[in-house]
Amino acid sequence: MKASLRWLQEFVDLPTEDPGVIAATFDGLGLEVEAVTEVVADFRGVVVAKVLAIRPHPAADRVRLVTIEDGAGGREVVCGAWNFGVGATVAYATVGSRLAGGLDVGERDIRGVRSPGMICSERELGIGDEAGGILLLDDGLAPGTDITGILGLPDVVFDIAITPNRPDAMSIHGLARELGAFFGVEVRHIDITVPPSVPGGAARVRIDDPAGCPRFTARQITGVKVGPSPLWMRMRLRSAGVRPISNVVDITNYVMLETGQPMHAFDLDRIPEETIVVRRAAPGESLTTLDGVTRRLDAADLVISGPETALGLAGIMGGGDSEVAATTTRVLLEVAHFEPTGVLLTGKRHGLRSEAVARFERGVDPLLPPVASARATGLIARLAGGVPLGELIDEHPRPHRQATIVLAVREVERLLGVRLFGLEIGTLLRRLGFGVSGDDPLTVTVPSYRPDVTRPADLIEEVARLYGLDNIPTALPHGPGGGLSEGERTRRAVRAAMVGAGYSEIFSFDFIGRDHLARLGFGEDDPRGHPLAVRNPLSDELAVLRTTLLPGLLEGLRVNVARHAGDAALFEIASVVLPAPGEPIPHQPVRLGFAVTGSGPGPAWQPRPERDALDAVGLVATLAAATGVDLVLAQATEPGFHPGRCAHVLADGAVVGAVGEIHPDVAAAWDLSGRVVAGEIALEALARGAFPGFSVPSVFPPVVFDLAFDVAAAIPVGQVVAAVKAAAGPELEDATIFDVFSGPPLEAGRKSIALRLTFRHRERTMVDAEMVPVRQAIVERVRAETGGLLRGG
Amino acid sequence: MIAPHDLRRLGDEILARLPGARSTAEVDALEAEALGPGAPVTEARRGLRDASDEVRRELGRAVNEVTAAVTAAAGERRRSLAGAERADRLAEERLDMTLPGRVPARGTAHLLSTVWDEVVDIFVALGYTVATGPEVETAYYNFDALNTPPAHPSRLESDTFYIDHGSDPEGVLLRTQTSPVQVRFMEAHQPPIYVVVPGRVYRRDAIDATHTPVFHQLEGLAVDEAITFGDLKGTLEYFARAFFGSRRRVRFLPHFFPFTEPSAEMHVDCFACEGSGCRVCRQSGWIELLGCGVVDPNVFTAVGYDPSAVSGFAFGVGIDRLALIRYGIPELRVFFDPDVRILRQFP
Repeated sequence: MKASLRWLQEFVDLPTEDPGVIAATFDGLGLEVEAVTEVVADFRGVVVAKVLAIRPHPAADRVRLVTIEDGAGGREVVCGAWNFGVGATVAYATVGSRLAGGLDVGERDIRGVRSPGMICSERELGIGDEAGGILLLDDGLAPGTDITGILGLPDVVFDIAITPNRPDAMSIHGLARELGAFFGVEVRHIDITVPPSVPGGAARVRIDDPAGCPRFTARQITGVKVGPSPLWMRMRLRSAGVRPISNVVDITNYVMLETGQPMHAFDLDRIPEETIVVRRAAPGESLTTLDGVTRRLDAADLVISGPETALGLAGIMGGGDSEVAATTTRVLLEVAHFEPTGVLLTGKRHGLRSEAVARFERGVDPLLPPVASARATGLIARLAGGVPLGELIDEHPRPHRQATIVLAVREVERLLGVRLFGLEIGTLLRRLGFGVSGDDPLTVTVPSYRPDVTRPADLIEEVARLYGLDNIPTALPHGPGGGLSEGERTRRAVRAAMVGAGYSEIFSFDFIGRDHLARLGFGEDDPRGHPLAVRNPLSDELAVLRTTLLPGLLEGLRVNVARHAGDAALFEIASVVLPAPGEPIPHQPVRLGFAVTGSGPGPAWQPRPERDALDAVGLVATLAAATGVDLVLAQATEPGFHPGRCAHVLADGAVVGAVGEIHPDVAAAWDLSGRVVAGEIALEALARGAFPGFSVPSVFPPVVFDLAFDVAAAIPVGQVVAAVKAAAGPELEDATIFDVFSGPPLEAGRKSIALRLTFRHRERTMVDAEMVPVRQAIVERVRAETGGLLRGG
Repeated sequence: MIAPHDLRRLGDEILARLPGARSTAEVDALEAEALGPGAPVTEARRGLRDASDEVRRELGRAVNEVTAAVTAAAGERRRSLAGAERADRLAEERLDMTLPGRVPARGTAHLLSTVWDEVVDIFVALGYTVATGPEVETAYYNFDALNTPPAHPSRLESDTFYIDHGSDPEGVLLRTQTSPVQVRFMEAHQPPIYVVVPGRVYRRDAIDATHTPVFHQLEGLAVDEAITFGDLKGTLEYFARAFFGSRRRVRFLPHFFPFTEPSAEMHVDCFACEGSGCRVCRQSGWIELLGCGVVDPNVFTAVGYDPSAVSGFAFGVGIDRLALIRYGIPELRVFFDPDVRILRQFP
């Protein structure tokens, strides 16, 4: 809402004209000023002049010689505009004056005729776009008067963001009322004098839908002469960002800006049978609105209709067939009240945002229609020669009932934290237009222009607003202490481990394209292949909710490779969404996902291994160490992964994730050519368990010996290690695999696994001799569980 | 049997040759000529057992003297040579220290995570609990329970993402705010409640410099017997100073939200220009930081609390916005860019 300071001052005498102070006052009242524009004259030395005579230029057809009186005497100037005649009042730029854009005006020779100064157009004065003709001033202005004041300059325009709960602030009068309340000064009433009417008028109004239209007024006006509106009104409309059109239309807009009440002027002669019906749209009905768009109406749309066809969308936009035109002489002025939600939904449905919608959807003052109608009628009479025809038609099927709220004084202190007496509270509320009786509790009546105030809490907000939020004393309460949730603790621990392992965290969108998910090739019975769809996605690329973090991570690698940004090691901690039919909401487990490609760490001038599945295996070990969770890998196959280089991650025997190399075909779908290592693990599984208890490291020397086993190639190393550990007893401190090979001297289909075992006792030095039975037990266990034979044994 | 004077002559000769030894191996060899297996001194020591007392006394003295002298001299020569040899080896081991080294792998936490944790920690220090909740949420928790009218524009498909789950097409959505977790938390707990809820939220905004359909919020809620707007002011002022510095000033301007009454916006004076006006604060001296207010009684009623017995405040602050402001990030979409050249810059 753009509000001109001069316009506001028509209604309230402010103690200051300082734009900064006024803007801060609006801000403090919850009327956020987004911009303050100081409108100053971009010209000087331009005065009112009267056209006395006009004659042709002796040497040029396109210009004329105009004699004017500028208060200091008569003079003749050359003028190229034709939109005026003798007697017109014009803006004359004297010799030595300066026009918009810094143009200095002197005495010029135009085809042999001297022209001292010039007659100006709107554009030359920098007050409008009109350049085809000169600016015509209102008659009756004294020649020689500087036009700056006539144009209402200088002025200040405040651009105010009005919150959805404040319909009353969508008007100059409402904003003046707020300033008046703050400064404690009276606000002047809107002039509602209606000139005497002539008898007659046959128009009829019928409201078929009183819920959508609780009140409808119609004023018939005859003898209207459509033409341009006066300069002062055009300047006012421009200050509010509204384009002037014609006097009748401009008046409806002007009164809407002034009072907050939208209205519509029909050409009475173009309303069939002069009958207005307010009803819901009929099935299949359509309407061409003023913007030239033909709209198919919804059965919930409220329309202003003739006896048969719709004339306009109620409270939103009129139709082209019945609008006021240059030839219009009889006007029907509709000023009605519409229910906010219906207007809001119809406006959204048709994508129409109008000044009227912005007001009706907030809830216009239900008592305002006759007031605004009178104001507009008076202006049409004054500025367009109209005469009211008959009396105001005022259909009022649902009268407004004034709300009353009982407010206990202690409630104000309980919610605001500042102690106010009943008297103070009453004073603040009265200044805002509320009626107050009693001391404690206060009985408060709500003015019709504040439909948002219905409860004590709403009144307390009004008190706070006028009292000043910054005047309320502060306090710093503290909670009983709870700290991080387990989820947050795990997130932090896992993130720190991943960062320490060289991975960088990314954030990606939750929605992905179906095609990206399909690249991973989930089976028909895999829930990850059945993502939940966004019903109203922004695009096909953002159509479904991710069931896995892998597409986002692989996309991350692709972006880095495509931009030649260098090797990337990425991770993300976020939830995925899995279908849960019958549940109120789908499953949303949080996952850790990672992906990496390129070379491992190390200086490039030395050999560096390419990343492969062992990086994933090592990362799982890092996570296990960082979180204290025992994570075990088991060879597995998973959609999207290399068939021979993938493992399930197990915790407590349950599968909690999968890691490995991405299948080269899948990687290729993301334009990745080298080995791509990736994985995904349930974050919940990485939550640190209870602390197992501290143990003092043994100070005694270890016993170390090596064992090598000859096993079938298909036996996983993990199985051999598990057998060794199971048989080794509590003194085994470490079992390190230091060699794995196949080929001669082994038989085909066999491999050798060499382990270095370290034993240490907590309380004494172990001797080699006591290792003999241990060694034997290990060898036997490995043979029993894996068929492995001790080499060289 | 070797004569004592022959032993002494041998000793003198070796002592004379030791300074000429060029390596510890040569020293070892020279020492062995006198003292090694089968060498004269070793043999003489062995013969002492069978010698007469007189010979044993003379010879024994010579053996001891020569052994001591040679051992001492050889040791001294060895130490001298070893120092030189080590110096040679170290000289050979010289490494060009301007070569790129073996850099430990290092990743970075995302800036949003860093800010997220920092804000959470500020409130944890005030005794708050951290809670989280589902991102795919029901319309009841996201709107109805938060006093949002059925026809409120934020519910429209142009503003909110709806998810194909269940029979009601507008029943399940991507939450537009972290506030539904307030409701879930209040349903599950009784006052006093001091909780913060960090998380992802979603609005149906096309992607541009200042909009992303996904962003992050931290919601705060305090409900107790006597929570007031003054408590809200003090808490958020503390937060602004903890995050932007202890000299910051804040102001509260009335605003509107469906789930708080009274509602306000908090502004903080610009940390970049100390309030004098700059690019960060768009010349205003103030930065709009967050929305807040006293919990609307309808919200308490929806979760079964008695609005006449308890009161509370709530606020919501944009984590992305905090990160954007403090680190001078030009565009929101930077946060969703996986380019490692961006990620590596995050502190």
